Amino acid sequence: MSLSRKQTQDLIDSVSSAKPDELDCDGCHELMAEFAELELSGKEIPEAMQAVRRHLDQCVCCNDEYNALLEALGGIEAS
Amino acid sequence: MTRRIKDVDTPIPNPENIGPECLDTPNGAEEADGSQDPWVIRLRGEPEIRDAALEELREFLVRGLAKSMSHRYNACLQPDDVVQDALIKILESLDQFAGRSRFTTWAMTVAVRIGISQMRRKYFDDVSIDSLTSEDQSPMQIAIDETDDPGDQMDRQSMVETLQRLIDTTLTEKQQKAMRSNLSGMPVEVIAEKMGTNRNAIYKLVHDARIKLKRGLEQSGIQAEDIATAFA
Repeated sequence: MSLSRKQTQDLIDSVSSAKPDELDCDGCHELMAEFAELELSGKEIPEAMQAVRRHLDQCVCCNDEYNALLEALGGIEAS
Repeated sequence: MTRRIKDVDTPIPNPENIGPECLDTPNGAEEADGSQDPWVIRLRGEPEIRDAALEELREFLVRGLAKSMSHRYNACLQPDDVVQDALIKILESLDQFAGRSRFTTWAMTVAVRIGISQMRRKYFDDVSIDSLTSEDQSPMQIAIDETDDPGDQMDRQSMVETLQRLIDTTLTEKQQKAMRSNLSGMPVEVIAEKMGTNRNAIYKLVHDARIKLKRGLEQSGIQAEDIATAFA
């Protein structure tokens, strides 16, 4: 399979940003509610919670779920 | 040890005094666990109290899910299709609520994961990994864009050759399969289901592959920043 230019770029980004101690999907899910409230409140994200952001940047599924969570919470606030 | 309602020191709140305002009651960061949150107490309460809390929570979740599910995966499922599963999961997982966020934010996180997961699986039901990634089972091949500047191409060519060699020699067939499916846009969760494993296992498989490739590049004298810059 030949990778497209975008896929090659994604592969390189993903390899160059790899860290041994990344959160997995379950770890990210566990911290997601707290992370969302911090972001929505505009507070500074503590270093310990930055791992959530790094996982979201890598994982399409968790990132989509996080965006869906923000939309759900925003939708309730607006209604 | 699991704390149950009878272990909680504070009295059970009168349900008449607990209403939708609970939706706006954040837990303090200093709280050790979530077992004393009014929602948790109600959901562990007597059937009448629990049922009222469940109905209130259902309504809250449906309102949120309606917003987030309406424009994903062709809206192949509706909030009412998933909210029951979400409520069951929330009740099963009450012990995991640590009180570090509002209960309702945590519950919505659980519901969104269930809702979006079910939509994803339904949407990708008829797609096989092979049809999405390649017609054959050839290894992952990186190609240099021939429209690039020839000077840039030279720099990139040697990096790509090294990366290709590392892919061919250090990654298992399973790692390559998971990586190329991921690069083709298939969600990790769907890859996991089609490979007969779970989402965390696939994430770990791909993560280990990324680490192997990064270390291999570094051992070949190519720093991650160099390759990222060359392909930026």
